Amino acid sequence: MESAAALGIRGLTVRYGDAVAVDDLSLTIPRGQTVALLGANGAGKSTTVNAVLGLLRPAAGQVRVFGRSPADAVRAGSVGAMLQHGGLPSEARVGEVLDLVRRSFPTAWPLDDLVVTAGIEGLLGRSVDALSGGQRQRVLLSLALAGAPPLLLLDEPTSAMDVEGRRAFWTTMRGLAGRGHTVVFATHHLDEADAVADRVVVVAEGRVVADGTTAEIKTGVGGRTVSFTADPARRLDDLPAVTAVTRRGATVTLATTDADATLRALLAEGGLPDLEVRGATLEDAVLSLIATRRPTPIGVPR
Amino acid sequence: MSPLFVFQLRRVARNKQFVFFTVLLPALFTVFLTKIIGGQMAGAAERQDVAASIMVSMMAYGAIGAALGATIRISFDRASGWLRQPRVTPVPQTQVFGVDVAVGVLLTLPSVLVVALVGRFVNGVQLPLGTWITLVAVLWAGSAAFVALGVLVGLSLDEKAAGGAIGILGVVLAALGGLWWPVEMLPEAMRGLAYSLPSYWYAELGRGVITGGLPAAVAVLAIAAYTAAFGALAVLVARRRPLYAVAG
Repeated sequence: MESAAALGIRGLTVRYGDAVAVDDLSLTIPRGQTVALLGANGAGKSTTVNAVLGLLRPAAGQVRVFGRSPADAVRAGSVGAMLQHGGLPSEARVGEVLDLVRRSFPTAWPLDDLVVTAGIEGLLGRSVDALSGGQRQRVLLSLALAGAPPLLLLDEPTSAMDVEGRRAFWTTMRGLAGRGHTVVFATHHLDEADAVADRVVVVAEGRVVADGTTAEIKTGVGGRTVSFTADPARRLDDLPAVTAVTRRGATVTLATTDADATLRALLAEGGLPDLEVRGATLEDAVLSLIATRRPTPIGVPR
Repeated sequence: MSPLFVFQLRRVARNKQFVFFTVLLPALFTVFLTKIIGGQMAGAAERQDVAASIMVSMMAYGAIGAALGATIRISFDRASGWLRQPRVTPVPQTQVFGVDVAVGVLLTLPSVLVVALVGRFVNGVQLPLGTWITLVAVLWAGSAAFVALGVLVGLSLDEKAAGGAIGILGVVLAALGGLWWPVEMLPEAMRGLAYSLPSYWYAELGRGVITGGLPAAVAVLAIAAYTAAFGALAVLVARRRPLYAVAG
């Protein structure tokens, strides 16, 4: 099983009641990669992470971690995780919690080095209840690293951090990749994916809509959005460079890869009240990626 | 002892409220109630009976508080997310569950023991050595019903409700189950309620030991039935309520 990928997901589908959180998602992550799962809230990132950890039962599909089932991989200590809604116990000291988790793994990360790597110097004797948000995240990272697992899953690891804390955390994550860990992290910040990952997987509505290097993704999502007020009857088909059309009441929003061409065509047809043109946000870009319904996602090698 | 067991035990023992309400308070009640009620009795034999009866009630009261206090905390661990954390380590989930039960079982012992010692050495309750041992053993074993109840409540309720439930449940079970005053003092209708509560039968276990050397079969059956019912419900809730239901 030495050759098995760190993570292999095939046709994963997860439902919460009637809602489909992850929809036939497939993804293979070779050993040693640092991968960002990028997407808006509710895109299915956490659900995917939880499925990889065996924390929920998928409706369909298969997850393999180093060629094993999630439960077996977790039991064998091959996976360390920072959960988005994970937490620390009250009435305990950081050192006690860390000690407990280190003992539960077959091989423990040497304590002195772990403390430095996770950046929790001076916190071991501190009560868990007295930690700041950023310190908690770092302690949770130290728990994920405690067993020196070859695969690390970090679900929005920097969500409780300020700008400085996030930058320091990115340095830590790059260091982990440098030590040969496979790191998969979920984020909704394009800059975070850009700073840390060598591969970005964009997830929207439970599906992979783009998969490639950060540079490839940025080219793919580098469009603009044009919004204006329009009569609901006005036809907006066949506009040049437009990848998606959304209407909210009288407001029309177009995603375009060439704002110049789109605007020229629109102006030729008539006025554009309340015109607004902006660079596409990640969310817009992701929306446009879904709307185009590409047969194969951007960057997926065929 | 597993590291997880030691870890969980240390967390509960560190809670000063827990120690106060489950050990100190029942011990103090034992002394005061015996002084007040026993002081009204004319004969030494009557005083002895009252002292023994109050001691058993307070052993039960302390043990119920300890069993519930130690286990309802599961709700806090669910709320903080800690309950999810061991699931991403090699520790099996059943062990996590088992440790919480074991901690609850172990922590009822100090309440039972301390009140027994206070009964013997402060209030002068005289019993044969074998009866003392049986009494402590029976009440300790019977506390399993309240450990199961605590796990059930801890798994079912959210953090805030659970925090209230620790105190309220203990008080209701004690007051209505005849631990703070004899059931015979309650009005007819409430007496019926008392007979349906596990706390009444739990104290009956102890009273049976004091008067007859062994608990009455009906009390043993009642406590066994409550333990089984609460335990089965707890397992059901644990299965139906996942530890997270977080989309995204």
